Amino acid sequence: MMRGITKRIGSIKFSCVSPDEIRRMSATKIITADTYDDEGYPIEMGLMDPHMGVIEPGLRCKTCGCKVDECPGHFGHIDLAMPVIHVGFIKDIKLMLESTCRNCGRIMLTAEQIEARRDDMSEMKDLGGGTIDLKNFSKETAKDASNKGVCPYCSTEQIKIKLDKPTTFREVDDNHKLTPKEVRERLERISDEDLRTLGMDPATCRPEWMVLTALAVPPVTVRPSITLDSGDRSEDDLTHKLVDVLRINQRLRENRDAGAPQLIVEDLWELLQYHVTTYFDNQTSGIPPARHRSGRPLKTLAQRLKGKEGRFRSNLSGKRVNFSARTVISPDPLLSINEVGVPFIAARELTVPVHVNEHNIDKLRKMVARGPEPPMDNGYLPGVNYVIRSDGRRIRVTERNAEEVSENIDIDYTIERQLMDGDVVLFNRQPSLHRMSMMAHRVKVMEGRTFRFNLCDCPPYNADFDGDEMNLHVLQSDEARAEARILMQVQENILSPRYGGPIIGAIHDHITGAYFLTHKNPRFDRFEAMDILSKLKDIDVPLPMIDEEGKEYWTGKQLFSIVLPDNFRTTFKANICQNCDFCKKEDCEFDAYVKVRNGQLLCGTIDTKGIGNSKGKILDRIARDYGAERAARFINEVTRLALGALMNRGFSTGIGDEDIPEEAALQIANYNQECINEVSELVESYQSGTLDQMPGRSHRETLEVRVMKVLGQARDEAGRVAGKHLGLMNPAVVMAKAGARGSMLNLSQMAGCVGQQAVRGERLSRGYWNRTLPHFNKGDLGAHARGFCSNSYKSGLSPTEFFFHAMGGREGLVDTAVRTSRSGYMQRRLVSALEDLKLTSDGTVRNTVGTVIQFKYGEDGVDPSRTVRGKAIDLDDLFAEVLGDDADTLLHIEDMDTGEDYGSREKDEMEYTEEEDGEEYDDIDTDFEGGSE
Amino acid sequence: MAKKDTFNALVNREISDEVAELLLTKYNTLSAISAASVEELIEVGLSEEAAETVLSKIGKRTTRKTAPVAKVKKAVPELKSEAMEEVFRERTLTAAEIKLKEMADAAGIFLPMKIITDIAGVIEKADLSNEIYEKLIATAGRMYSSHLMDKNESTGVMAAHSLGEPGTQMNMRTFHYAGVANINVTQGLPRLIEIVDARRVPSTPSMEIPLIGIAAEDESVARHVASEIEVTSLLDIASVETDITNMRLMITPNTRKMALRGLEADDIVDKLNKVKAVRGLVRMSDFQIVITSDEPSYKKLQMMYDSVKNAKIKGIDGITRAVLSKVGGSWKIITEGSNLKEVLKIEGVNANKVMTNSILEVAEVLGIEAARNSIIHEAMGTLGEAGLDVDIRHIMLVADLMTNDGQVKAIGRHGVSGKKSSVLARAAFEITAAHLLHAAMVGEVDSLEGVTENIIVGQPVTLGTGAVNLIYTPRKGENE
Repeated sequence: MMRGITKRIGSIKFSCVSPDEIRRMSATKIITADTYDDEGYPIEMGLMDPHMGVIEPGLRCKTCGCKVDECPGHFGHIDLAMPVIHVGFIKDIKLMLESTCRNCGRIMLTAEQIEARRDDMSEMKDLGGGTIDLKNFSKETAKDASNKGVCPYCSTEQIKIKLDKPTTFREVDDNHKLTPKEVRERLERISDEDLRTLGMDPATCRPEWMVLTALAVPPVTVRPSITLDSGDRSEDDLTHKLVDVLRINQRLRENRDAGAPQLIVEDLWELLQYHVTTYFDNQTSGIPPARHRSGRPLKTLAQRLKGKEGRFRSNLSGKRVNFSARTVISPDPLLSINEVGVPFIAARELTVPVHVNEHNIDKLRKMVARGPEPPMDNGYLPGVNYVIRSDGRRIRVTERNAEEVSENIDIDYTIERQLMDGDVVLFNRQPSLHRMSMMAHRVKVMEGRTFRFNLCDCPPYNADFDGDEMNLHVLQSDEARAEARILMQVQENILSPRYGGPIIGAIHDHITGAYFLTHKNPRFDRFEAMDILSKLKDIDVPLPMIDEEGKEYWTGKQLFSIVLPDNFRTTFKANICQNCDFCKKEDCEFDAYVKVRNGQLLCGTIDTKGIGNSKGKILDRIARDYGAERAARFINEVTRLALGALMNRGFSTGIGDEDIPEEAALQIANYNQECINEVSELVESYQSGTLDQMPGRSHRETLEVRVMKVLGQARDEAGRVAGKHLGLMNPAVVMAKAGARGSMLNLSQMAGCVGQQAVRGERLSRGYWNRTLPHFNKGDLGAHARGFCSNSYKSGLSPTEFFFHAMGGREGLVDTAVRTSRSGYMQRRLVSALEDLKLTSDGTVRNTVGTVIQFKYGEDGVDPSRTVRGKAIDLDDLFAEVLGDDADTLLHIEDMDTGEDYGSREKDEMEYTEEEDGEEYDDIDTDFEGGSE
Repeated sequence: MAKKDTFNALVNREISDEVAELLLTKYNTLSAISAASVEELIEVGLSEEAAETVLSKIGKRTTRKTAPVAKVKKAVPELKSEAMEEVFRERTLTAAEIKLKEMADAAGIFLPMKIITDIAGVIEKADLSNEIYEKLIATAGRMYSSHLMDKNESTGVMAAHSLGEPGTQMNMRTFHYAGVANINVTQGLPRLIEIVDARRVPSTPSMEIPLIGIAAEDESVARHVASEIEVTSLLDIASVETDITNMRLMITPNTRKMALRGLEADDIVDKLNKVKAVRGLVRMSDFQIVITSDEPSYKKLQMMYDSVKNAKIKGIDGITRAVLSKVGGSWKIITEGSNLKEVLKIEGVNANKVMTNSILEVAEVLGIEAARNSIIHEAMGTLGEAGLDVDIRHIMLVADLMTNDGQVKAIGRHGVSGKKSSVLARAAFEITAAHLLHAAMVGEVDSLEGVTENIIVGQPVTLGTGAVNLIYTPRKGENE
């Protein structure tokens, strides 16, 4: 199976087939349009002739003698009574007819011109011109040669040729129709030498072959007929089309031989042309597509190949695989980030091939003896589904034959054992937008029916657990397993190559937990501390502190420091930082200045900036400086620690968290009313024409801008008032400030005021004539009439507000749907354009032809996933390493290391209107085959 | 109808009625006549002389056809004779930079100049010993080399993913320009698509024009520069009426608006006299400008009105609006519409810092290197605006690929993907059948070097771990 020499296909050459060759390679000539006789056997020299291969089990191919699946199929052929033009080449035929003499067939260029053209062409080839460049060049040559009045060689006057789509040529002057026969004769006259000038290779394709005299009939294996339940046979579309061709061909031959009138023969000839044309491409413009009896257009050769469901994209670029599983996913915080929980049923079905050798034969014998369904008394044990003997024969292991098979196992056998803990598998969720969408995990076989994984792995897969399904692939060769383990494991992908920061890190509750563990350094007594630490394995518990009363206690920062590497060192500002004008650093009243020295958290709160995914600076540094394994361990430990702390303290949020005191509500309502009044004033002054026009804007635009501004202030003020009254200990506020989930904007909409609803960035304006809803007066431009929601989500929207909110929400949904398909197509194009580029060993980036795209990758050759916020090296690290702690004082570095964010900025900073966290619609066709093919 | 128009046109060109009639027996349109040769005209029944005059009178087309060719030929040697001024703007290295560079060279450690500059920037102020310098270099060298990208890495796929994945997180809306100006600029996903598409004209072309000298300081001067740039059409500064009884157009200039744009009534007359439809018919009368039609035809009057109404009086073609904004104490102009070539000629414009978002215009005016930088700048700006962080190296690679052969090529079927060397890869992307047929015709060979081709035939791809091979030559007698 995996042994022996692996050969590589060096290259593939494309060429046209000459009529002679079609006849030579044909297994049989097809003359009759009938397929099966009355007994249901294929008719000899019919379209289902058994010489062309077999599709029914049990029968043997009459050409090669093989059975189904062994016989590759053989071509047959139809001799066409009259030649017919191949549609695919119609444009090339036209160019050739135009550029060559109608009499002598020479290309209508002088010898010098030909010489010059040929020289240019060979120079182009030498300089590495691609096929497309050459194609365009030859086209130009042909264009140059055409439109000559007189042939320079034989002085024959030329007649212009017009192409009547799709396949008829006419001579312009007398409207004489060129029959395919005449076309073929003309093409025959073109010399090989001239063909080379026109960019063709006469050895692979003579132009007259483009006018068909024999039609190759694909093997039956290409167009199998299907037997329906009723016993009726249903033929493939290609067979249907070939039947048509044969019928007309037969009639044409009969009529021609009988000496029928020219008109009838020509009609039949044209009909044959139509059938052959649609046989190749049923979407040729200018002719009606051939249809099935039911009215469905037939899927002929070109349709089989092209498009998303075509052969190329659906069967050749993407292939179906065995040894894979798919099921719903669910979370398991107790799994390591590089594990995946696989249900028993799936594990019993998925197998790993193991080669039997003298070292493992005893173990494997025992395994085989267990059979495919070992008892579950002592937990899950892998069984064996198949044994493959050294001669390649497969034996299915069953309960009954397990003992026997296990005894017969010998060296050089391969057994397919079931999945067990520790196996390397690939785990994937569509859409696979980046390489982190498919990572290698270690299997952990467990009960249940879902795949389970650590919550930290959600961001790279973009997964949640509202019914998402994921795929799992079991690797089948040692080479693949080795590659997966070294390159694809989750911990190897903690740092995203997109921005050089961690994409896997603590999320949601982990961050809240870490916040409570470290913020303002709480104290834990022995019981609490041990409760929190009991979630961790193999740790050294630091010595406790002693408080004034002589009691032992541990501080939160102490506990957090347990999971940090020993000599870890960093400084940064936490997410809760208030961005004061003057930073008090260690004395920060919000405990937002994080300082770690020698693996001890000295001050500061750990939140999303410390350990969060995409922002976590501690995480980022560990992954870069201590390696992937250490980073994985850190994530596992820190999340467990954080959850421990959270469980110790207890945390919940609910609708009560958005309660604000009555005076606050009143304050908000008052301010809202003030703003609404202000808007009314603006509208009034607009209507009376006294509104000062802003430069470059119309009166109406000026009004809109000013109104939007006022109403924006209203919402912000409501948010501010609400935020003030909610207080910093409010669970919802804690989550927002620590960066766990939600934002202050969300909160202010819940507690304060929902704010202006917008469509296309403007106030709502459409609906009824001159008004949004019939509840308002025509022409009302006031705040409420144009979509301002002064209520909060909690207090409840009024009916009109509710309606406006739905309008804004709908826009968001439409936006999402459009966006997925657009960006999908953009990415397909990007990948297709860039997929072949690689970094060669001389440091340049080149494509397949060897053209240098970049002389040094990214101008410094640095891997983005290894950069520090995009910088090749981290200066702080550098100075810290060389100068130690004196760096700051020695170099007077005042405000370094505050560091910018990775990943995305806060949503509310970006957007005026809220973006609902809408579900992405993966199932929507993300493909735009822009334009026509 | 058409014939009648042609007849009028011929007569307008001072061709006698008889000749015109003769011509119309065979030809219907002016262009048909101009396309005909002298011989053909003689056939119609004209004398040779008459035929030639006819052609010369209407024959703008024939003369024009040859004129530009001659010009091009002339222009080529001109270009050669005029030696280009070579502009160097070498950055002088600071003392610390030179010192670091020398030490690095001496130690045989390669460091990109950026790192050296960064380090130098920090240590300049501090007084450090040579020993520390050396240590810095060694450490930096170690860090740098450990951050290098692995060989055979599929950098392209990485870049494509890094650019494509955030696309799903961007939004589809266009935003108002940040700042005072109410100028719409396409942002988000549509803009990103536009950049990789290498569209000839972006959907919202826009320029940012910093001013220099007193224009940067003085608002009124800046306003003047802006008025030079913004297109002023006649309707912006005057009202136009048609006087049907006298068959004329009455233009009443608005003095206030004219003063604002620094225009005089005479300027308008001059400009209008250059407009095709009313050439030579414009004159001043009191405070009005009068255009009297030379033909007693309402059609002509209407035509005149239409062409006068939108006549450009001042400004640069394509720039529909120019708005001033003050950034960092100096004035700059933000425009709707873009015309880099002309803007650079305007006085008061800081030509070194003018930006346009039209990439192809940059390529035309400033060259391909500038276009490459423009792609990077625009793409980074778009992603940054959406709050997404993408490493600049990925965008550089895309920009380099797009500009690799000296022209800005689109990412897609008409550009990079359509020019791939492999038939199978092209067929798998788009327009499958055409690529296969053409390959068969010219006998193309697919050497299976890229990713798609190898996936199609089912063998390992040539990137990453697939790029290396282990070759083992068994030595004789080793195993026997």
